[in-house]
Amino acid sequence: MPSDWTRFSAKLEAYKAYALPLEKTIGSFLSFRPDSPASSAGELAGIPFAVKDNIAVEGFPLTCGSKMLADVISPYDATVVARIKAAGAHVIGKTNLDEFGMGSSTENSALGRTSNPWDATRVAGGSSGGSAAAVAAGLVPFALGTDTGGSVRQPAAFCGVYGLKPTYGVLSRYGLTAYASSLETPGIVAKDLGLLETVFHAAKGRDPNDQTSLDAESSTARPVKTIAILDGLSDLDPAVTAVYEQTIEHLKELGYQLVAVTLPTLEYAVPAYYTIAMAEASANLARFNGIRYGHRPVYAENHESLVRQSRTEGFGDEVKMRIMVGTYVLRSGFQDQFYTKAQKVRTLIRNDFAKVFGQADALLTPTFPVPAFVHGDKTMNEFQQKLADKFTVTANLAGIPALSFPAGLAGGLPIGMQLAAPAFAEARLLEVAAAFAGRVPVADCPGTSLDWSK
Amino acid sequence: MDTRELETTAALAQIELREGDLARLGEAVSQMLAYFETMNALDTEGLEPTTHALVKDNRTRPDSVAESILADALIEQAPEREDRFVVIPNVL
Repeated sequence: MPSDWTRFSAKLEAYKAYALPLEKTIGSFLSFRPDSPASSAGELAGIPFAVKDNIAVEGFPLTCGSKMLADVISPYDATVVARIKAAGAHVIGKTNLDEFGMGSSTENSALGRTSNPWDATRVAGGSSGGSAAAVAAGLVPFALGTDTGGSVRQPAAFCGVYGLKPTYGVLSRYGLTAYASSLETPGIVAKDLGLLETVFHAAKGRDPNDQTSLDAESSTARPVKTIAILDGLSDLDPAVTAVYEQTIEHLKELGYQLVAVTLPTLEYAVPAYYTIAMAEASANLARFNGIRYGHRPVYAENHESLVRQSRTEGFGDEVKMRIMVGTYVLRSGFQDQFYTKAQKVRTLIRNDFAKVFGQADALLTPTFPVPAFVHGDKTMNEFQQKLADKFTVTANLAGIPALSFPAGLAGGLPIGMQLAAPAFAEARLLEVAAAFAGRVPVADCPGTSLDWSK
Repeated sequence: MDTRELETTAALAQIELREGDLARLGEAVSQMLAYFETMNALDTEGLEPTTHALVKDNRTRPDSVAESILADALIEQAPEREDRFVVIPNVL
């Protein structure tokens, strides 16, 4: 555990002198309250953390990065937040995100712009871009995000920190603003692997308020000997290829046996993922209608018009597009062609993973095919960003845990690699990542420091 | 997707398409659907669809009375209200 952070409350003024100017440049928070009261009991006592603004924290806004919810204040804590608070940590802010978690750059936020602390001309990734940027910049030691198709792992990779997407169900979804319920889970971003593990254990386990939540099974914990790598990877940026190849060499030298495997369904994972995610989004976001909470038009003649205007004015383009595609694929006559087809592809992906984990204890891939791209990059438009999600979405489709870890630098930017393991085998991911960090220590983002704690 | 289909879908989604939306959103929607059709190259004959990765059974709990401390706080979020009622435009 990084001991500096336990002195947070005692060094608050020095912290603010460090954090406030830096935060102006990177814009990781939508609400930032460093003065929030700290707790003095528990294994995380005195440690501050940040929470993505689509997860409920009592007394804080819950905007989801959307005009629709810009004025909503949460009256309760999400289960994961309550459990981490019970362990002694306290929330000091809510972080920026792509609207409702829909995007890979945080540029789809209607409420703020987040930049990468390594290079402010570049994006922090998304959709949990604010959480990853805040951790990388040393504004908090850890942060919560949500991961529906890579939204914790990809920004962690872009910002040079760890991002864990646990097994589906092990972290309760109670208090998350639902986007794609069968795919999404809370996730943890941290720079220190030991701290990430402590937070994960404090937050996990079955919750009466989430009927899909599960207790982790520990029977799969065993030392990792073999790691699978994908045969014939293509379409990677040269910087990512270079770090990927170095990572393989380091893992060999650490004594792991590497086994080449294939995921025959990989090329179909992205269309299957987005079919399912958008279908579930169209149903989940139907609740936003401007009646009980959220954006309401200045004037509406009748109830129908109020709902339509509320949604038309409250949602951004990407959200509208996903709702419409989701509505279309669920329309009678099209369900089998798109939605049921995607669910069958999901079965194939699970079968692929079952074969891979029959041959190896874990799977190594890059987290994302390119490093952090510049703001407004035309070659990485919304559609191209979706195609690039192929390594991350597979874990959500199969429900298995995956961890993005900082694997090295290329051209001054951090590059993340992803490890995936069978359901409930988070321990394997942490074990390999810890061994790797023993060889390749996590690089500090230039301009960040913990000197305020001295 | 042609304009009529797009308008029908938008109406079902309770979203109004305004000036310029038809071309911009229509193109994005059509691009996604064309991409989804690439799944047709894959043979999925005889496979069971996966609706959920790990959840296998329905879970129930005892039907017991408990206090909700959230009701008033939630009602206070309503954009317009009278006492404990949420105000909306005339329905009739």
